[in-house]
Amino acid sequence: MITIKDLPDHNLFTAGHTACPGCGVAMSIRNAIRVLGKDTAVYVPASCAVVFGTTFPYGAWKVPFFHTAFENTGACLTGMQAAFEKKGKQVISAGFAGDGGTYDIGLQSMSGAAERNDNVLYICLDNEAYMNTGIQRSGGTPFGAWTTTTPVGTKIQGNRRFKKNLADIVIAHEIPYYATLSIGHPLDFIRKVEKAKNIKGFRFLHMFTPCIPGWKMDPAKTVEVTKRAVESGMWTLYEVENGEKKITYKPGKMKSVKDYLMMQGRFRHMSEEDIRKLQMWVCRKWNLHYKEKGAPQICEIAPPEEHHAVTEEHREMHGP
Amino acid sequence: MFEVRFHGRGGQGAVMAAQTLAEAAVIEGNYAIAFPFFGAERRGAPVLAFTRIDNKKIYSKTQVYAPDCVVVLDDSLLDTIDVVAGLKPEGTVVINSKDKPEDIDLGKELRTGVINATSVALEILKAPITNTTILGAFAKATGIVRIESLEEAIRRRFGEKLGAQVGERNALAARTAYEKTIIGKSKAIKKLEPKKQWLPTYQELPVGGALVEGKTDAGLIGPGSFIENKVMGWATFRPLRDKEKCTMCLLCWFYCPEGTIVRISDRGDLMTNYDYCKGCGVCANECPVDAIKMVRARA
Repeated sequence: MITIKDLPDHNLFTAGHTACPGCGVAMSIRNAIRVLGKDTAVYVPASCAVVFGTTFPYGAWKVPFFHTAFENTGACLTGMQAAFEKKGKQVISAGFAGDGGTYDIGLQSMSGAAERNDNVLYICLDNEAYMNTGIQRSGGTPFGAWTTTTPVGTKIQGNRRFKKNLADIVIAHEIPYYATLSIGHPLDFIRKVEKAKNIKGFRFLHMFTPCIPGWKMDPAKTVEVTKRAVESGMWTLYEVENGEKKITYKPGKMKSVKDYLMMQGRFRHMSEEDIRKLQMWVCRKWNLHYKEKGAPQICEIAPPEEHHAVTEEHREMHGP
Repeated sequence: MFEVRFHGRGGQGAVMAAQTLAEAAVIEGNYAIAFPFFGAERRGAPVLAFTRIDNKKIYSKTQVYAPDCVVVLDDSLLDTIDVVAGLKPEGTVVINSKDKPEDIDLGKELRTGVINATSVALEILKAPITNTTILGAFAKATGIVRIESLEEAIRRRFGEKLGAQVGERNALAARTAYEKTIIGKSKAIKKLEPKKQWLPTYQELPVGGALVEGKTDAGLIGPGSFIENKVMGWATFRPLRDKEKCTMCLLCWFYCPEGTIVRISDRGDLMTNYDYCKGCGVCANECPVDAIKMVRARA
């Protein structure tokens, strides 16, 4: 197992790129490429990563880099890998797509590559909205979050739908490796990238990447906010290897989701009722994920036994 | 018609400043429009915004190319951008700087109003967002809008969006800046040369936009060429590491999104390359032994 000390000094994603200060995507990309090494070819669809990483004729990547349209990360990775194999080259084809390019627009292409079990590495940089085009709601946007397409009004405040359960969609393709990562847990992060690097077949790494302007937060808190997300259960760290799920990090004590929400301007408008709704969603997720009830003082309402307890309330909350 | 061009960095509120100025002009019974320049702006990258003020209807919808006044929200922009391009000879420049007007080199002798807006904003608003502060200086330097109508516009615009208290504080920042602004004449020493650009002919352009590492008259192109893009101007704060306290856990090096913190394994040491620091402060926030402090970058 490699640790922070074993990573190389030089980075294949150079300094001087134009990401926002404190960018979670830049942090994740830099550390992923540190582990993947120079025998990697990168594909990035339309996203922030292409704007701040490669502005023609300049580029920050020191590995072969390819960019076309938004919706075809999976297909392009398949094509790249096929070409490398034909030429007899040992190369990792890695795609860095955003949540828009994975949850919504790139879903069919990703599904195709996963179904064929192509030997590629798919990385989803999940910042929970279309941040590059100016913060529009995506399938990955959590309940209650402000975006420009889910504004805060007098009748409806923020996004009314819960975060789409992408993990189960990806795992349903019976791929060899799926893992969730957070930049706030470095050892776990490095270990999972290293593991995905050495597995054959379709590997999916799901990275949680805070966005400073989109989440309306202090740039210094990028790492802190990912830690709080994990501690509150908004984000869970686990891996699924050949259908076997393994929890890789379990927070000692469940924290209230409010701690996480109040760090970010996009949630600050939320009413007590909305926070309770989101907390219930998290409690149920926690229950299903860690196979135990959440902290009693936080999850005072017992989550329904049946997933399809058909009330209007629960119909709206199609969580995990 | 009075035309204003705002030069700022993403996140400083140049667009808000342009809109607030337009609103102040409307309060005084004039016509005004305000709009930003659309590009792929990140937080901290140079941005543009424009305001036009007139006493009759305005039909011109183009960018402002020959402004009567240029407002610069960040003096680090002076090194990379010709902010006074197209400015009318009798025009005015309003700059956020700690220097006196006669120490500011604009390449031309121009009427210049100076305010240390970052200090005022940090003191009153507790954040380096200088848009309302610089508007106070604008009112003093040009006299196009009265400070009272500006305060009113700030209260309306900011109060509506962020609460009455925030509106009041921003109005106070504008008033403070109005009183502290120094007006003088700028220096004309430097020769402004436009930054060289790589402009290939169509025969030279690579097929399909494919690029290999290369060197042109305008600098590096291709993979890894962003290394030439120094971004130190983006930072308001920068990290200072206390070597005595540091335990070499390497967390700051791992977390740094820019590559500012450079690791030298042979010497077992870390180095800070401020050329690439945008001053996010993640390193200081995450240091487990509090060995990193954030200090003002250009104080």
